[in-house]
Amino acid sequence: MSLLITANMSNNIKYWKGEEELNRDPQFLADQKREFGEALPLEQALSDEGFELNSNRRDFLKYFGFSVTAVALASCYKTNVRHAVPYLVKPEDVTPGVANYYRSTCGSCSVGCGVEVKVREGRPIKLDGSRDSVISKGGLCATGQASILSLYDTERLANPLMKNQEVQDWSTLDGEIKSKLAVMKATGKKVVLLSNSINSPSTLRAIASFKEAYTNVEHVGYDAVSYNGILDANEKDFGKRAIPHYRFDNAKAIVSFGADFLGTWISPVEFQADYAKHRRPDVEGGMSVHIQFESTLSMTGTNADHRFPMQASKELAYVGTLYNYLAKAKGLAQIPVPTNAELAGNSIEKAAKLLLKNAGKSLVISGSNNSEVQQVVNAVNMLLDNYSSTIDLVNHSNQFSGSDAGVQAAFEGLSKGTIAGVIFYGANPVFNHNKEWAAAIAKAKLSISFASTKDETAAVCQFVAPDNHFLESWSDAEPLKGIIHFTQPTIAPVFNTRQAQESLLNWAGSIPANENDPLADKGILSQKLEASPYYLFVRSYWEGVLGAAEFQKALEMGVAETTKNEGMVSYVGNVSALAASINKSSQAQGIDLVLYQSVGVREGSQGNNPWLFELPDPVSKVCWDNYVALPKQIAAKLGIDKDATVNIEANGVKYENVPAFVQPGQANNTVSLAVGFGHTHAGKVGGSIEKGFAPIGVNAYPFMNTTRDVVIGDVKITKGSEKYVLAQTQTHHSIEGRDLVRESTFTSWKKNPNAGNEKSAPHIYTIWEKAEYRKDGSPNHLWGMAIDLNACTGCGSCIVSCSIENNVPVVGRDEIRLRREMHWIRIDRYYSFVSEKESMTRENDIADADSADKGDYKHWENVSVIHQPMMCQHCAQAPCETVCPVLATSHSSEGLNQMTYNRCIGTKYCGNNCPYKVRRFNWFRYNDNDKFDFHFNNPLGKMVINPDVTVRTRGVMEKCSFCVQRIQEAKLKVKREGGNMKNVQVETACQRACPSNAIVFGDLHNPDSDISKLHRNERAFSVLDELNVQSSVKYMTKIRNTETI
Amino acid sequence: MIHDSLIRERLVTGDKTAADVTRDISRPILNQPSSAWKIGFTLSLVFLGIFGVSLFWTVWTGIGVWNINKSVMWGWDITNFVFWVGIGHAGTLISAVLLLFRQKWRMSINRSAEAMTIFAVVCAAMFPVFHMGRVWVGYWALPLPNAFGSLWVNFNSPLLWDVFAISTYFSVSLLFWYIGMIPDIATIRDKVKTKTAKFWYNFFSMGWTGSTRSWARYELVSLILAGISTLLVLSVHTIVSADFATSVIPGWHTTIFPPYFVAGAIFSGFGMVATLLVVARKVMNYENYITIGHLEAMTKIIMVTGTLVGIAYLTEFFIAWYSVVEYEQYAFINRATGPYWWAYWSMMSCNLIAPQVFWFKWARTTPWFIFIMSIVVNVGMWFERFVIIVTSLHRDYLPSSWVMYSGSLTEVGLFLGTFGIFFTCFFLFAKFLPVINMSEVKTILRNRE
Repeated sequence: MSLLITANMSNNIKYWKGEEELNRDPQFLADQKREFGEALPLEQALSDEGFELNSNRRDFLKYFGFSVTAVALASCYKTNVRHAVPYLVKPEDVTPGVANYYRSTCGSCSVGCGVEVKVREGRPIKLDGSRDSVISKGGLCATGQASILSLYDTERLANPLMKNQEVQDWSTLDGEIKSKLAVMKATGKKVVLLSNSINSPSTLRAIASFKEAYTNVEHVGYDAVSYNGILDANEKDFGKRAIPHYRFDNAKAIVSFGADFLGTWISPVEFQADYAKHRRPDVEGGMSVHIQFESTLSMTGTNADHRFPMQASKELAYVGTLYNYLAKAKGLAQIPVPTNAELAGNSIEKAAKLLLKNAGKSLVISGSNNSEVQQVVNAVNMLLDNYSSTIDLVNHSNQFSGSDAGVQAAFEGLSKGTIAGVIFYGANPVFNHNKEWAAAIAKAKLSISFASTKDETAAVCQFVAPDNHFLESWSDAEPLKGIIHFTQPTIAPVFNTRQAQESLLNWAGSIPANENDPLADKGILSQKLEASPYYLFVRSYWEGVLGAAEFQKALEMGVAETTKNEGMVSYVGNVSALAASINKSSQAQGIDLVLYQSVGVREGSQGNNPWLFELPDPVSKVCWDNYVALPKQIAAKLGIDKDATVNIEANGVKYENVPAFVQPGQANNTVSLAVGFGHTHAGKVGGSIEKGFAPIGVNAYPFMNTTRDVVIGDVKITKGSEKYVLAQTQTHHSIEGRDLVRESTFTSWKKNPNAGNEKSAPHIYTIWEKAEYRKDGSPNHLWGMAIDLNACTGCGSCIVSCSIENNVPVVGRDEIRLRREMHWIRIDRYYSFVSEKESMTRENDIADADSADKGDYKHWENVSVIHQPMMCQHCAQAPCETVCPVLATSHSSEGLNQMTYNRCIGTKYCGNNCPYKVRRFNWFRYNDNDKFDFHFNNPLGKMVINPDVTVRTRGVMEKCSFCVQRIQEAKLKVKREGGNMKNVQVETACQRACPSNAIVFGDLHNPDSDISKLHRNERAFSVLDELNVQSSVKYMTKIRNTETI
Repeated sequence: MIHDSLIRERLVTGDKTAADVTRDISRPILNQPSSAWKIGFTLSLVFLGIFGVSLFWTVWTGIGVWNINKSVMWGWDITNFVFWVGIGHAGTLISAVLLLFRQKWRMSINRSAEAMTIFAVVCAAMFPVFHMGRVWVGYWALPLPNAFGSLWVNFNSPLLWDVFAISTYFSVSLLFWYIGMIPDIATIRDKVKTKTAKFWYNFFSMGWTGSTRSWARYELVSLILAGISTLLVLSVHTIVSADFATSVIPGWHTTIFPPYFVAGAIFSGFGMVATLLVVARKVMNYENYITIGHLEAMTKIIMVTGTLVGIAYLTEFFIAWYSVVEYEQYAFINRATGPYWWAYWSMMSCNLIAPQVFWFKWARTTPWFIFIMSIVVNVGMWFERFVIIVTSLHRDYLPSSWVMYSGSLTEVGLFLGTFGIFFTCFFLFAKFLPVINMSEVKTILRNRE
């Protein structure tokens, strides 16, 4: 009370909080100067002796609160537990993050291209052509590129099957099969081993020892798309049943009758490389001339200097005419036919003149499987003296050697019961031969398939002994006489599978012993792979042939050579006996059906490979379906335009409502249909009746008769009742007279290397100085690309290669219908319609010509085609870069137009503003999304992902990066190991894959580099130069050798 | 003392007194909603639902549910964006420009026109936001300091200019609208009965007392905002047009775009105002406030601006021919004769040809006809944006990438859904706020005793 009064009175209130303050205790005064009067127990609590419960209540609450919050927050985020298991013992050759490369042989078809397999952390992730292989010559086709995905196919059988039941244990299967085989051998029942063409010496030896053990076994080889025409003709004419080795590198004049030798015929990768050698105008000796007579517009036809439409069933008459022209010129006896068949403009005569001029360095080939046609072709080549230079039958090709008669006999034997057992190795006759095979197999006492998936044939077999993928196998190949390629495994078998050869040896009881093998304990993976019995078999054979050291070296290089044949073949053929057939052929009437292989899907052995189905056909740009290609003449008669279907009937086989496609360049009175489609047991991608996935397209194989002819006469075509929209990546086909592709002729080019490219660079007025990094002599790199339109054939190998390298998602048919394919590189294909007056490149002109036409639509038959690969042009003044609000796409100091996925918010303005339309948007999440049920949604399919490239998320833009990861890898390598970047060749994935070396990539700041030279070349031009976007990609003016005939 | 003009018609008819005005305008707010309102509002909510479903589907699945593709990466989305932004122009024009020009006839329509502006901008904003592939990181388009390293926005990009232009326009318009409403909100505040209503109207009237000082400030702020808004009327659509004009795409790369877009925006904005007011004056019994004179004035503007855009269309053709650039020439020939000719000719007939009927007095003074014409105008303006965006993209430089495009169900749903947003907002506005500026209208009454 007194205090209060005092305070009031003095008007100087002073409160105190405790006695210490009132008494002005010295300790209290000292404490008061510090922020916290009392010592905080926190430090003590945090130190070791802290947990002695001397923390006070507030501290307890603090800790408690913090820990509860932290635990709560931590437990809120649900994340998948992913295991990254380190190597316990690091394998000798595996360094995480560094790729290993192994030489091997592509097993996707029997051609046997040498390949280089890129392996990352034990996973093969990329196939490229081996530069030491005389077959692949460094390139690889789309089919081969894509075959790596078959390794990671979820449809592969994980275990052997016995009567459709999985068995874990191979010995059970072996026991059962052996006993059945033994019984058959004892009772003398015949067993057929039906395979595709096999040119592997070791496999043939394995089959031989199997046949030794079971003398009742007969080996029959056949090919889905047969080359018996050539084989039979050579047997008759030369007494040698073999396919010759065609030497396009020696051919200066090429006349092809329907042979798609750049796309699908025999050995296309090799042929492309050889062909391209003479397709550049600046090569020594000048350009070759290529004339193509064909009915389907093939990819090869699009590259020809002259292409003449021809009715397929008259082919024999036309080659006969060619023979007669040549014989007449040489003063030899002609084939006695009443009148010679000739095409418009006397084109066969012109071809004959050209060939005569180039006798000895010309090549005439035919894609027909009719031996009579091939006999005439042989005679023509004999007349032209080509057997010494462009056709090598002495050291022949082993790539295709199947026998149609053999497979037919096997089929009949099985149907009649004279053959009791059948083994299928690389053969799927239920799919690619006649339809009655399934019933025939059902009659067999023993049926075994080596198929790695449950394909159409395996589905009706009693036993399936799944073969390894070729990337899991040891093997070899002899594609050409004396040329050996080796196959070595690059991954341990993914599933419980076994090499077919090993199975055969096992059943034959001649498995080589593995004891005391010096290589047996090299490491985990090596041990497993090199301990394989078949490895010992291959090794012992080749060590015998080459020697131990040479074998190791050959394995490393992937190739070896053995002795070649010497001498000559002698021609004993006689074509005058074919006069009647030729005469008959010239009278052919009605509509022909031509069966062909599409580039990519080919004969259809990779029926579940999404990359191949998503690869647009090089000519029609149709994906995900086969279709009846109609000439405009037939389409107009049927009243068909777009999105229509037809009913087609031939050889007693009828399909209804098959998608129809009006194909420019298709010869009148012929229709075409691709084989290889219509699988019923391929899987989730390619179609599976069992699993409820619709087949892709229709199966065209049943149209073939027993001679396996690809031309079928008298086809009935009617308009289908349904509509069908084909998925196409390009829907406008005329260039509208725009200066996007420059062309000239060889004659003009010889006079002026600027020919066709005379348009001078646009006058640029700019207030801006050239960026520092672009100036000559600047120390940085400046990456650029050059594409030779003369070398590019449009095959699409680059597209698949790019998709694999850059983890480009597969989007499927419906998305492509919506025009949303994701390919970073595409090949633009433009038709120009050739009428009598001029070529038409504008849709209005074409429409006018159509309406004036009287029904034969000749201008639709005669087309000239150009292919132009198109990818991000990495413009120095990129329209995409300025419009991005968040700088997600920007320019590097090395001239790269970079895409920062993380930063992209997806406004898509960059895509709109790209004049080349090369930007691709992730409309959905394409990975881990079952709506896109291809390979990105399962752990096995994801094994193929390139770990150096981000898998893009939904809602971001992406595009060609010039394979920046490869540039980076090269730079790091030089940095680590020293050296000069000038000596390091950085190759983009598209460039690496290209069989014809059309793409060159490199540093423009290195004046001596190939790329700098090409950019300075007179033929070099930029697309849309007038926009002054300053693209880094230059194209070489297309020079056609059209004025030679 | 007001002098009645001998030649001009009265701006407010029916001999209204100030008390009449207050009673008439605040009637819908004070009374229970009419059944017409209920039906309209329910219908709007249905469309709002369509918007919600379509938006959910888009954001959940990815914008792949739209039909835009590798060449036409903007379709209905940006068409709708420009369409709505354009509609949003009339409000500001009426309140700001006409205020500066002392056009008193604007007084009975500016409130609803401004409201329309704000709602239209909200609708418009939906599209640039949700057309983004990754809308959840859309805020990266704002120049915010961040922890992502030295990441900043690209001031070169017209899309960024859009961000600023639209957000500025929206905030200024909102402010202008709200400040203009304060005296009226205060009037309502004094009339409402329930506690909640009193609280909210009180809150939003910001303590308005009607003192001379308040009025003086009110006038001044209005004038300043009018000045700012006038610039915005020109700038917003100029910048929106820069989205196209700064690109390299033939048909977009055009210097005529800014004035042409602004004229088009005013055209469509007046179209939308006409649509709303013809209905509102009838349903809400405001025929004495929004008179035939108002409608006639608006139709004149529609006719003038329609003719302006029409001339712009023809100029584009002339310039394309004059440029001797084949891509440019093709782009325009393709518009008129290509696969999207129907869109082009819809645009031409709706925007250039149809408004010419307003040369006739009957057409200018017949409400039901004006209503039909206002719909025609907006259909035409939607097609104009569709033509500019889609026909330019679907066939640009490389014929290999030429495509066709048509909107998916989701895209249509989103567009219809924005009408749900718009009308839901508008119905709420009509129920809770005075749709006519009472205080201003009172200044132009004849009967002022």
